[in-house]
Order: sequence, then structure tokens, then C-alpha cells
Amino acid sequence: MSLPISTAWAIARRDLNARFRGLRLLLVCIFLGTAALAAIGTLTNAIERELASSGQELLGGDLEVEVWQRDLRPDERATIAKYGTISSGYRMQAMASTPDAAAPIELKAVDAKWPMFGRLVLTDGRSVGAPSGTDAWIAQTALERLGIKVGDSFKVGTVTLRAAGIIKDEPDRLSEGFQLGPTIIVAQDIPAKAGLLQPGALYQSKHRIAFADPARDPEAIEDALTKQFPTAGFDIRTRDRASPGADRFVRQMSDFLTLVGLAALVIAGIGIAGGVSSYLDQRRSSIATLKVLGATSGDIVRIYAMQIGVAALAGSIAGLVAGVAVTPLLAGALQGLLPVESGFIIAPGALLLAASYGLLVAFAFAAAPLLRARTFPAMALMRSGIVPLARDWRALIVTGIGLAAICALALLTTAQPMLSGGFLLGAGGALVLLAGLGWGIQTLARRLPRPANPLLRSALSNIHRPGAPTGALVTALGFGLAAFVLLAAVQSAIDGNIAQRVPKEAPDYFVLDVPRDKEPRFFALIQQDFPKAAIRTVPTMRGAVIAYGPKDKMVRVADLKEIPEGAWALRGERGLTYADTLPQGNSLTDGQWWSPFHRGEPLVSVDARFAEAVGLTVGDYLTIGILGVERTARVANIREIDWESMGFNFALVFSRNAIADAPHNLSATIDLPEGADTAARGRLLRALVKEMPSSSVIEVGGILVEARKLLQQVSLATLAAAAVTVLAGLAVLMGAIAAARQARTYDTVMLRVLGASRRQILLLQLAEYGLLAAVLALVALALGGGLAWVVITQLFEFDWLPDWGEVLGVLGLGVALVLAFALAGSLPLLRAKPARALREL
Amino acid sequence: MTSPSLAISARNLTLTLGSTASPVTILRGIDLDIARGEVVALLGPSGSGKSSLMAVLSGLERASGGSLTVAGADFTNLDEDGLASARRGRIGIVLQAFHLLPTMTAAENVATPMELAAMADAAPRAIAELEAVGLGHRTGHYPTQLSGGEQQRVAIARATAPRPDLIFADEPTGNLDAATGEEIINLLFARRAETGATLLIITHDASLAARCERVLTMADGVIASDTRPALAAPA
Repeated sequence: MSLPISTAWAIARRDLNARFRGLRLLLVCIFLGTAALAAIGTLTNAIERELASSGQELLGGDLEVEVWQRDLRPDERATIAKYGTISSGYRMQAMASTPDAAAPIELKAVDAKWPMFGRLVLTDGRSVGAPSGTDAWIAQTALERLGIKVGDSFKVGTVTLRAAGIIKDEPDRLSEGFQLGPTIIVAQDIPAKAGLLQPGALYQSKHRIAFADPARDPEAIEDALTKQFPTAGFDIRTRDRASPGADRFVRQMSDFLTLVGLAALVIAGIGIAGGVSSYLDQRRSSIATLKVLGATSGDIVRIYAMQIGVAALAGSIAGLVAGVAVTPLLAGALQGLLPVESGFIIAPGALLLAASYGLLVAFAFAAAPLLRARTFPAMALMRSGIVPLARDWRALIVTGIGLAAICALALLTTAQPMLSGGFLLGAGGALVLLAGLGWGIQTLARRLPRPANPLLRSALSNIHRPGAPTGALVTALGFGLAAFVLLAAVQSAIDGNIAQRVPKEAPDYFVLDVPRDKEPRFFALIQQDFPKAAIRTVPTMRGAVIAYGPKDKMVRVADLKEIPEGAWALRGERGLTYADTLPQGNSLTDGQWWSPFHRGEPLVSVDARFAEAVGLTVGDYLTIGILGVERTARVANIREIDWESMGFNFALVFSRNAIADAPHNLSATIDLPEGADTAARGRLLRALVKEMPSSSVIEVGGILVEARKLLQQVSLATLAAAAVTVLAGLAVLMGAIAAARQARTYDTVMLRVLGASRRQILLLQLAEYGLLAAVLALVALALGGGLAWVVITQLFEFDWLPDWGEVLGVLGLGVALVLAFALAGSLPLLRAKPARALREL
Repeated sequence: MTSPSLAISARNLTLTLGSTASPVTILRGIDLDIARGEVVALLGPSGSGKSSLMAVLSGLERASGGSLTVAGADFTNLDEDGLASARRGRIGIVLQAFHLLPTMTAAENVATPMELAAMADAAPRAIAELEAVGLGHRTGHYPTQLSGGEQQRVAIARATAPRPDLIFADEPTGNLDAATGEEIINLLFARRAETGATLLIITHDASLAARCERVLTMADGVIASDTRPALAAPA
């Protein structure tokens, strides 16, 4: 007859220590894992909610139509105006200058209706709309670069403006994407007055619509506009996807952080298994006594499952509270990068998911030791403390069910099931590998000849004797050390991508909109102060792919249901150029390059990856639209492009006769000699502004600083989340060593009674743990490094650039911690006099 | 069929432990009948099988062969859970090392077997039982707060509280000094007399054995002798 729940609970409650002594490792592991997942889930939920609900404000409307190098035609404007109120403006790179300074800026011109949603807030507290006349709202950085203050004048192009206020919060900032310079907001007519809207100039006209009927479906209107104007080169965004870049970023961050959280939970699981085993081991006497008194094995499971359940619940609740509490800190780290409300956020779905994970992990990893304890006969438990609990294959089934549930939950709730599934499989494989390694080490130790030295003999037998916690130690240490390697490799690889690669190859400046007729003067201006500067110019215009394919079977982009994987060049407008010779850094994989004097059929050279994505081959045709005019060219060759050369790279390069007659300017890169004088750089910028006021300069160094700052913010947030995994790993390491230490207590005391010195005992511990740690460090390097490679190259799509010195340093620190903790635990025993220690056994 | 007057009936009882590669036979074909209410001492040198015989008779260990009926229940084919269930309310056990539950008070320790047997009023009965063994003032104390003698009293109260048919005591005074041991034995006998239970005691103490109605001496896994001290007393 089964014990009633109330009786089982009465017994469980009596036996459970109020401070959860014995179950603290389980509690800590559940707490850390649940807290990590609660914080991550709450934060990403809040960001996604903000992105979704603030779509109108982020976009500046319900729908935005963007077009390059021209304004809307009257018929286009009339069509769009049917849907609601239009607010129009321009966005472009430009140069701001004073007599003493020049600064690249991002010029944003807006009409009187802007902003239709939200308000621009200035640093002096004013909440304003569009500037009027020659007033300008200016970013703090631009003010500093120009060396002016509010009220001072500066020039943009040929127009003199007044700095009327400093921008604090720009409502539609996030939808503008990555900035190539500080923002200056001016009235809509300023760019034209400043001479920045010449035919061929690289600017965007942006038209935001606030629907007259808010119930209208933005996606339906997007479809209608695309169908009605298939060659207009419209880039359309809706309020539901106000910032696709931010959406993607949030998703990637969320997936990475969730993997970090799952890693913390898997490590927690190892800690739980060890902690529960250790706890039930300490309870052998009580379990035996209960069985003597008539408790069945089912009763034992019920009683101790209740205890473990209470501890798991306590850990989960504490974890949820901590997760909610730290979310504002994580949000603070991402301030300015992503929209997220300040203060405490409660996301019930995310919290429920985190708690579910925590409890499932507790169930999955506690099941095995719990079910093992139930099957042992009372007399055998009382007979000897070193006899291990018998293996119960049903325990593996229950554990398997628990793990399957965790995997199912992860796969159902992640945006990248393949990646998460791969990670979980990898983690599972790692656990199996480590378990096998533990068995292998024990088998090897058993087969080695017994050393003559009694201490070495003891060290060796500690590894393979019945009841030795070698398996648990190997799993915990191996996984914990692998986690350290994983995190160090990921962090250093991210840093490496930021710091190591880009600066070597990037030019100092990009210059846009250099008038073609001023090219010689452009060269002269630069070579005046920098005779050894490397200057490259390319003709640049914007256009969109309209159709592609064999001559009689061309596919129109507007008819595609979805863009093929990898065919990013079909999306919206992109940079186009023409060239007489094969561009630098490119190589032909098929076809021939045309002669510099080619006058025949218009030709085009296509990027190999794009060609593969859309199935283009030499001899096919491509139709593009430039400024609303269609032009068709034959594919003459396929090119391999080195995109990482950071120079001008174009997916489509035309023969001169294909597009050279379209209005356009030149873009240029300038590579200054190493150590170029700052004053001379400033002179160059001012000279360029004076002679070519419609040109704009992008300082690559400045962009990199911004990118670095951005990635460092991200890095900080991921480090905070990853710290939880490290803490969980540490808890598991310490728990595994503590559990193993308990088994060593008897041996240590007896060895001292028999005459071993303290130094000899310490050397024994060092030998045992040192050997294990050395083997596991190698395993951890392989495992952690492999998982890090997956995260960096497959999730973040970065280059594999870990700092191996840092990785090995972190690994070494982990090993040192293990040895230090193992030795530290023995010190109290070694300090006590043998007689007293023997009495306390 | 077993006689209802028998508390224990064992036929050809064997117990083999260890691996199949190197088995160790502890009990070698024990035949034994113990009447209800008998007080039996079990003597023998270390390794003779006394504790193992008690373990099998009390259902703590499954016999490897033979048949066994205890308090009317057939123990022969029961598994571990079956034996545990069979022990409830039927068998009380007192062990040398006391084996109280360290995280429970004296009263909770005594109440536990009654709760396991789904007996009503476990808590007040536990208090009453502790008062009967002279520990009415220690009901809320934990085992670590009790002396060795007090712990064994609690163990006795725990064993007798459910009013079992049988009480097994394995060297109940082994961890106690002589004076305390004497008190414990007197208490055990007194409680047994009040409850009318059958008592089987393992002991090395010849004087204790002399107080029992029957003395079984074990040697090398078999019952070497079965005497009744009262009958053996000189005329």
C-alpha cells in the first residue's frame, strides 16, 4: 500500500533541513540557471514588445517608401497619398564645416509634418518638431567636431545653418540603421539649397505615411505599391518591421544568450546530479532506517522527490526573482542600442519558460540518483558505506524523458531550432563523451600495475575503487572547464573581429559624390599634403535589379514570392558601377572581361555568390532600373569578390556603354600613409568641403569607433549573461570536489594515523587531481573550442579569431581553481591531530 | 500449513551473498520454529550468521532459499517492497547503533512507524510510548541531544509503539556501558511483557541469554544448539 501524500510530506518535511543543508548545490545550480534564462527571456521579450508596439514611432509612420537619387514622381506621390498623410524628407552623407573645422555628418532633412509619431527631445528639455528656416538640430558629437556651441553658425554644402539645439532623443533613430556620422536635422528644402541634390548624387528620399485608416494592413499596401511600381526601385518598410536589422540582431542575441542560459542549465544539471547523489548518499542511514521501519522503495522515492522538489522550487523562485531584478542592469548595458523600457519588467511567458526549464532540469538530473536509491535493500545500505548504489536502467529512461522534454521545449521556443538543436546535441554528446572518458580513466587506472609507493598506490586506487566519484568528477570538471574555454574563445573571437581584422585593410576615408569633372582637382587636393596617398575612384550610382535569367525566360523580381536564399542583391536598390578593366581584388571564374573599347551589346559582370543564388550563367541577361529607367545587359562573366578587402566592391559591374550615360558621380577611397599628421588631415577635409561642397567624407576610423562601442555594449551584455554560466560551472566544480572530498575523509585520517605526513597527503591530492585536471584540460580545450567555433562562425557569422593566449589563460585559471579548492578542503583535516580526527570519523 | 501458535516458521532457510564468481554462504539450511510470545536469545561467535539470520527473519534480507512464515505472513516470495510492507505494524527492530532518524525529534521518530502503518493517532501514541520508557521530558529533543541510553530508549519506544507481533533486537546494549545496558535490557523485557510480543535478541552476554526462555547458538551458518535455560537448570 502506498504511503498517503500527506504522510510522505510529513516525513519529508521533518527530514528536510530548513536551510536546505545538503541540497544547496542543487539549489544554487537551479537558481543560476533559472535566473539566467529569466533575465534573458524577460529582456528579449521586452525588446521585442517595444519593437512591435513602438513600430509607428520607430519608423516615423505606418509605412515608409525610400528611393535613391530622386524624389517621388507625381503619379507615385498621388498613389501613396491616397492611403494617408505623407511626411517627406531626405537622408544623405554630407560635410559640415566652419572656417576652422570640417566634419562628416549624416544630414537628415524633414518637412513640417515630421515627426508624425513621437517627438524630438533636445538636451535643454525642449520637445520639438521639424526645424524651420536655416535652424538645425545637431548631435553633440558634430558640435564638438566643429568646435561650436548652440547659436553658432556652420555650413553644409553651400548653405549656412545655425545650431539651434542639441539632439537628445530622436524618435525614429533606430529605423535609420547604422550611422556613418553624427546627425544634423534640417528643414526639407535645405539639401536642394546646399547643392546636395544634383542629378547622380547619392541621397535617399524618404516618404512616411500615417494611414488615414489605422486598421489598414501595411503589408497589403506594400504589396500593392510593389505591384503598381515594379521598376521604381522602392524600398518599403512597414511599422511591423520598423527596423529589420534590429529585429535580426535581437533574434541573434536572444538565441546566443539562450544558448548561454541552456549551457548554464546543462552545467546546473551536472551539479544537480552530483548534489542529489551526494545528498542521498548522506541520507543512506535515514533511507535504510525508513525501510527498516516499513517504507517501500516507492515511499522512499516519494519522500525524497518531495524534498528535492521543494529545493528545486525554492531555487527556481529565487532565480526568477533574481532574473527580474538584474534585467534593468542588462537593459542599461544595451541603452541606446535597442529600445527597451527602463525599470522592472515582468514577462510572464519568459518567466514561465525559465521556471519550466529549471524544474525540468531538476527532474531530469535528479531522477537517476533518486531511482537508484529506491532499489537498494535496507540491509545492504546499513552494511557498508562504500558499496555503491546499484544501477537502475529505469533511471536512464526517466532521465532520457526529462532531457527529451528539455530539448523539445528549447526547439519549440527558439527562432533557430537547427542551431539550438545542434547545440543541445553537442552538449549531450559532450556529456556522453565525458562519461565515457570517466569510465576509461577508471578502467585504465584499474589495469595499471600497483605502484610500490603507498601514496601513489592510494592515489591510483582512489580513481578506480568501488564508489569512487571519478565519473562524476570527470563529467563535472570536464564540462566546467569546457564552459570556461567556450566563453573565453567566444569573447576573444568577438574582440578579435572588432580589433584585429578591419583596421589593417580599411581605407582612411570613403568619399561620396565627387563630381566627375572635378576628379583631377580631387587628386591634386589630396596629393598636395599627402603625395604618397593611395586614391581610388569609381563611378557610383544606385539601381535595382528588375529581372534576370535567359533571354526568353527572364524572371521579374516583382513576381517572386520570396527572395532566394543568398540573393540579397535582389532586395531594393544597390550600388552600381561600370569599369573598363577587372576591378582590384576580383577574379574571374567564368567568361571573359570586355575590352576597354567595347561598344557592342551592353554587358554586365556578376558576383559569383549572387549568380549561384539566382542561377545566372554567362549568356543570361539582367535588367536593372536606374532613376526609373530600365536597362538590360548580357552577363559576360562571373566574378569572385574578396568582400573583406574593405574597398569598393560591387555585386554588379557594367560595361561603360551600359550605364555611363546615367547621371552619376564618383566615389573614392583615400588611404593615407601611416602616421599621417592630424592637422594635415583636418586641412584636407576643409579643402575638400570648400572645393567640393556637395561631396561627403566618411571617416572609417570614426565608424570603427562607433562599431567597436556598439559591439562592446553587446559584449558587455553577453559577458554578464555568460558570467552566470561561469558561476554555475564554478558551483559544479566546487560541488563535485566537495562530494569527492567526503569520500576521502576516512582515507585521509587513516593515512595520518598510519604515519603519512601532511606534505605527503597534499602531494597525494595534488597527484590525483592534477592528473585528472591535465587530461580534462585537453578535453575541455577540444570541446569548448569546438562549440565556440559553432557559435562564432554559424550564429554570429564572424571569422574564427580567438585569442588562444587568453583561452589558455582562462583554462589554466580554471585548473588552478580546481587544484586550490581540492587542496583547501583537506587542510582542516590535516591540521587536526590524528587521534581527534579518528574520534570524529 | 503453519500453526497459528507459531510466530516464526522457517524451513531449510539459506542465505548466499557476494558475486556469482565468489559466493559466500551465510546461512546453511536453517529449520526453526518460534512460538508466539517466546523470548529467544541468539548466541554465537562473530561470523556465525546471527545478524544475517535475524535480518532474514525480520524481513530485512531476502532468503536465498527455503521457506519462511513470520507472524502469519509468508515471507518466502516477497520482494523488497513486499517485505517492507510486511514489516509495518508487525515487526519492531532495535539495533546496536540505535539508527534513529537524525533530522526528527524523539516523538517524530517514534511516530514514524505508526504513520507508515497508517495507524491513527500516531503523534499522541508516540508521546505516550516515550513516557512509558521514561522520556516524557525529551519528546522534542533530537537524537544528537540525547545520550546513548536515551537514544536506545527512543529506539525501543519506536519498536514497541505499533504493538508489533515480534521484536528483534540486535545487540541492543553493544554501544552502551554496563549499567546503562542493564537498564535498557530491563526496559526491553518490560515493554515486551506489556505488549506480549515475541522477542528475539542477539547477544554475546551469557547472563542476558540466561534470562531468556530459549537460547539458540549459531556456528558456521547453522543452529548448533537449541536449549531452554529454565529446563537446563539443575534440579
